[in-house]
Formats: sequence, structure tokens, C-alpha cells
Amino acid sequence: MSQLSHLTEQVLLKVNNLHYPQHIHAGEHLGAGLSLKPEHLDDILALSLPQQSVNNLWFEVHTENFFVEGGPRLNYLSAIRKNYNVSFHGVGGSLGSDHKAMAAHTKQVKALIDKFQPSLVSEHAVWSKSQGKYFADLLPLPRTQDALQSLIDGIDCYQSGIGRSILIENPSNYLDFISDMDEPQFLVEAAKRTGCGLLIDINNLYISSKNTGVDALNYLKQIPSELVGEIHIAGHDEDPTLGQSLLIDSHAAAVATPVWKLLEQALGLFGHVPVLVERDANIPSFNELMNERETAQKYLNQCEMKHSHDISLKEERG
Amino acid sequence: MNTQEYINAFAMYLRHGDSKNIEIFCENPSHINRLAVYRNGFYKSCIDALSANFPMCEKKLLAERFREIARHYVDLFPPEQGTLVGYGANFPKFLENFLSNTGLNNKESLELTKSRKITSNSYADLINIAQLDYAWLKSLMSADSNKILTIEYVTELLEQGIELTELNVRLNPSVLLVQVNEHAFSEWISLKTNNSDNNLSKATSTRFVMLWRIQGTVQARLLAPAEVALMETLLGKSSPLSEAFEAAITIDENFDVSEAFTACLQNELLEIQTN
Repeated sequence: MSQLSHLTEQVLLKVNNLHYPQHIHAGEHLGAGLSLKPEHLDDILALSLPQQSVNNLWFEVHTENFFVEGGPRLNYLSAIRKNYNVSFHGVGGSLGSDHKAMAAHTKQVKALIDKFQPSLVSEHAVWSKSQGKYFADLLPLPRTQDALQSLIDGIDCYQSGIGRSILIENPSNYLDFISDMDEPQFLVEAAKRTGCGLLIDINNLYISSKNTGVDALNYLKQIPSELVGEIHIAGHDEDPTLGQSLLIDSHAAAVATPVWKLLEQALGLFGHVPVLVERDANIPSFNELMNERETAQKYLNQCEMKHSHDISLKEERG
Repeated sequence: MNTQEYINAFAMYLRHGDSKNIEIFCENPSHINRLAVYRNGFYKSCIDALSANFPMCEKKLLAERFREIARHYVDLFPPEQGTLVGYGANFPKFLENFLSNTGLNNKESLELTKSRKITSNSYADLINIAQLDYAWLKSLMSADSNKILTIEYVTELLEQGIELTELNVRLNPSVLLVQVNEHAFSEWISLKTNNSDNNLSKATSTRFVMLWRIQGTVQARLLAPAEVALMETLLGKSSPLSEAFEAAITIDENFDVSEAFTACLQNELLEIQTN
């Protein structure tokens, strides 16, 4: 009897791994999106219909901010969801550690997914929990085989819990830890072994390149475009003590010029991928954020035009 | 490298600032001071969450002092869920220990409280204000009810000749009762509404405050003793309306049942027990 139970469990696990509904490219119809901030709710709801439909504006929320039983928070997300696609971006799943606590966490994520049907669901390739404590930050994993396995186990738990595939995001690095492989290898291997996709945060990559000397363009070239389901861009700040030698992922400023440049290069490599302009602090007016979003959309439009042009050329030659 | 050892060493650094064990995992020894970004991030997130969850408490203490005290709380009670929504459930209790006379054995708390010259009365108010902040948050985030007893439904029942006092009802999930000092409640309202202290109640008696959510907004008011008896009968369990009214009349024979019931309906406090 116990042997039979064991077999059943194995079969179920295998089925889970093979049959997650794939959502890596579920956002390919989306244009540029914005972080959803409660203070902008009235502005968003006041947008006229033509504005809403322009280039498929969409909004992203931090999933855990909606771990509530009811009330206005869920109501305002419902109001937004009526007219816009949304994506859920997790910050507390701790894919790299403490997986015992994952089931309770993903149960809440799944309830939200069932209710709001987000286009994309993402998390971070980091750890944030240890021995029952939550450290409320995105903490780096060492890029070792052992940590890779832990991340893979975490992604499996998360995807099993919510019943669909996710995207995992590259972290901001402030210093290097002892590693067996570089970050693109680490993330791509995790994606290939779990069926998840990648969310490439261009600002994080820029910060890591400045803080640890990684070659950002070479990093992007190592990422297979078919794995990329979303791109983030955001603002950063210099460390108040160390200045330019240490950039901090603050999400408290406008997107910096070199980050826009790197976005252009990323879109050139990956093709059309939904781009999110993130902002979590020093929140400006909605119009100001929409202007940044328009810039992101221009890069996406350029990318589309180049793609169409390339296809025409191929057809002419063919 | 064992990942668990790395995480344990990192966690020790985050909680206690001791980088001895994590240093061996860092590739560039000259960058070890950069670990502080993560520790600062951890504390900032937690303290920001406490600030958002206890806004009037912070307003009373002023931001700098609040954040100092909140940091002590984070040291003792780091979050345990992968979300900071609702973080600080035992913050009022922590404040009580931290600020009470017995808690003054702690040198750091002594320095903090001396520098603020907080009197023992205002300690009590601060704890009550923290309790009210948290109750307000809980009410705001509580489950929605789809079985609210409305005036329209009551009218229908009356038309059908149904005896209302036999209805099984209970308070909706957003209704909370908190026992606080009357002066503290008055101060909390004053802080919330940015009113001057001129109208603060001088009364120091302990009273029940009811908080509830209507149309997405949390309301709060002091309850009379008979109202407390009525609400407590219906809190968390269904009972016939007659039982709740009897409890109130036992406390105050002049209690106006009709007026109380109308107020309950207007404020959407009751939900119907369905089988």
C-alpha cells in the first residue's frame, strides 16, 4: 500500500512538471506597462477608452500586497482588471530557500490568480526566508550547483502550487559571491529544467554590471530569446556613501539613459517582449509615469518595425 | 559550497550584523561592506511596513523616534510570512513591554523614553493608539460579506410577516471591538483627522470602541455599555436578534432597541445566517 502511494505521488509530480500550462509568452500581445500604484487609481479609471487601448497598456502589482481577505484593496484591483491586463510579480516567494513554507504562500497566490487571471506571473531568482523568518529583501543566491538545485526545487514548488509556469527575474548584485557559473548560465539552466521563463530586469543588469563588472551586452547575448517573457526597467540611485561605485536598485527615480540604451539592445536581441516601467518610491504623477511608459512603447514600436522590415527583406530574397 | 550554510551565515548577518561567517562566501574581500545594502533593505522594508500599519502611533511619536522603536521590534519579531501586509500583530504588546516601567530595566529603552520625557499616562495612550491602528487595518482588510442584512431585505421580511427578532444574525467580519482608554481614542481621532488637541476628551475610563467597514471606509465610535452587550452577543457567532436585544436591555432597561437596529442596518453591521 505504501509503495503504491509512493508511485502515485511520483506520477503526480511528473505530470505536474510536464503539464504546467505554459505562460512564458502569454504577454506577447502586451505593450509597455506600469507598476500599479493606489495613488493613481482615479487617474487610471478616468482614462478614456482610446487611451486604454493604445498599445495595450497593462499594469503590474506585487502579488503579496493583495494577501488580504477582502476590502478596498481587492476592489481597486478588480476595477483595474475590468479594462486592463494585469501581471502578478511576487517578492516574497523565496524560491531559493525554505520551501516548506511555500505551500501556504502559493495557496494565496493561486487564489488571486483564479480571481484576477493575470497574463503573467513572476518571481525572483533569490532567497528571502530562512528558518521561518522572512527577510523582506531580494537576497542573492550563490551560483553553485547546490543553489541551482535549491532554486529549481523552489520553482517546482511554486509552479505546482499555482498550477502554471512563471517567469523568474535576475537579481541586482552589489557584490559577488563564490560561484561555479555565471548568472545567465544559472538562470537559463533553472528555466530549462523547470519549464519557467525569464523576466529580464534591465535596470538590475545595469546595476550589476556597474557594481560587479559583468558585461551587460554579453550577458543578454547568452539568454535564449524564446525564454524571455517580460522585461523590467526602473530607476536607480547612487549609494549615499560610496557614490557611483555602488548603484542601488531603488525604483525611486526615473529610468536612467544607459538603461534605456540597454533596453533598446535587449529588444534588438529578444524581439517584442512586454516592458514594464517599475516605480515603487518617490511616486511621481500618473502623467509623468505615462510619459516614461510612452518612451518604452516607442522602443517596442521600433522593435516591431524592424522585425516587420526583416521579414519583408527575407520574403524579397526568398 | 553548501547553500544552507551560506543562507544561515547571511541570515546571521542580517539579524545581528555579524559578517564573520558570510565573509568566506564573498569573492572580493574589499566589497564586504556592501553587504550592508541587504541589511539596510531588510530593516527599511520592515520598518516602512510598521510605519504604514501604525500611522497614528508614528504621528504621535514622530517619525525618527517611531523608527528607532520599530527597529527594536524588528530585532525581536522579524516577519514570518512572505508578506508585510499585516506585519506587527503584536506591536502594541511589544510597546507595552518596551515602554512600561518594568521594561525600563533595558538601558536602551530607558534612554529612548527619557529623551522623549513620555509620562506613564501617555505610554498607555500610545499603546491604545497602536491597538486602534491595528484594529483599523484589520477591519480594512477583513473579508467582504455577501450576506449583509439590508433595509430592503428587512422590508421584504416584514411584508412576508416574518418576525424579525427570530432572525439569526451576526456581525459582519469587518466589525471589531477594542477596549481602550477614552482619552486615547479621542487622541487617535484627533491625530487621524488632523484636528487640534483642544477637543480631546479628558475622561480616562476604559471604553469599548467599535470599528467597522462600510463602502470601503473604516469607521470607529465609542459604544455605550448596552451597545457593547448587544454587539458582543453577535460577535463571531450567530444568535437570534431577540437574544442580542435582551442582553442590551439587561444592561440598560431604557435601551432603544428600534434605534439600535436601524443604526445596525444603516451601517451594514449585520449579516444573515444562512443554512
